[in-house]
Amino acid sequence: MADINITGYNSNYLSQRSSLQVWLKIDSVSGYQATKITVSGERQLTATFDIGALPDTTEALLLVLNAEDGTAIRPRAVKINSAEDQAPSVPTKLTNLPVNTFKTKAGFYFPYRSILDETIRNTFFHVALWMAMFALLLIGLYHSIQYLLTKRIESDIKAASYSYAAILYGLLGLATGSVWARYTWGTWWTPDVKLNMAAITMLIYAAYAVLRAGINDIDKRSQLSAIYNIFAFAAMIPLLFVIPRLTDSLHPGNGGNPALGGEDLDNTLRMVFYPAIIGLFLLGRWIATLNIRIERLRIRKLQSDL
Amino acid sequence: MKQTIFLIAIALLTPALLMAHGSEDFLRSTGKIYSVVLAVVIIFLGIVIYLVRIDRKVSRLEKEMRD
Repeated sequence: MADINITGYNSNYLSQRSSLQVWLKIDSVSGYQATKITVSGERQLTATFDIGALPDTTEALLLVLNAEDGTAIRPRAVKINSAEDQAPSVPTKLTNLPVNTFKTKAGFYFPYRSILDETIRNTFFHVALWMAMFALLLIGLYHSIQYLLTKRIESDIKAASYSYAAILYGLLGLATGSVWARYTWGTWWTPDVKLNMAAITMLIYAAYAVLRAGINDIDKRSQLSAIYNIFAFAAMIPLLFVIPRLTDSLHPGNGGNPALGGEDLDNTLRMVFYPAIIGLFLLGRWIATLNIRIERLRIRKLQSDL
Repeated sequence: MKQTIFLIAIALLTPALLMAHGSEDFLRSTGKIYSVVLAVVIIFLGIVIYLVRIDRKVSRLEKEMRD
């Protein structure tokens, strides 16, 4: 006899008590059904299993199902060690397990991922910020190349303004990520590859801002910062897109952790995520445009002063 | 202007920070949803502070143009 305490999430154990079943799946064809289920709340239940001796130590998958919530699955939920004096037991064939209980809930639901929980919504803020940052940096890169081709001061102003807006987004991305890490991993910062590479990228772009602020000669400043911006963009791609994927990372979406990869981003999230990227990008574009207009006025004033 | 923004920032952040230190369970409660709220507040404040900086740049430029 073994008792397992189960805490559900957004579950309806109490109201769906009549259709509630708990299973421990041993392999693909067999498992044990709980002989007794004591429900103590919508999210709390205790399942009692009558398991005899098994030949080896076995990891079992836990299934909790009812008519309203469908089936909840927890892989490798328990380890079964058999004492020698127990009578050998035969697991029930899973033909008894109702298989049609995988259901889609009606209405608007976000997917559930362990560790992420409700912070899966950070996809719309933290992740969308970084995506908008890439778009802004790309525009900055375009104008930097344009400057080198045409030597027009207008292109330099545009490149700088878009890059500054991107830096703002990058810093906010680091800050929001840090807050999330504090309440998920228990620390503001860990020496994780994804985090450190993002920090290095921001330092590279901070150096861009320092470089521009440090040179008074306008032509020299435009020339140097345009070249630097191209190098910074070239450095950003491996730092943010390649290296974190080569190694193991704690960050969701890297090294097998849940996030955007393939099956993790479902259509409910996409419905908000893509507009969020577009919105943040347009906001960044507007901020950059304000800067461009100010710089244009300043240049015009300089020219009229001469 | 600067002071006002700073005070707004303090007023917005204080409850969250107090709870973060007082009972760590608040931001972790209901699936850590309040850490997302904190992230949204940070983004909002960051953008507002940047816009205020642009506002001051424009004001300075306007003043210079007038002189």
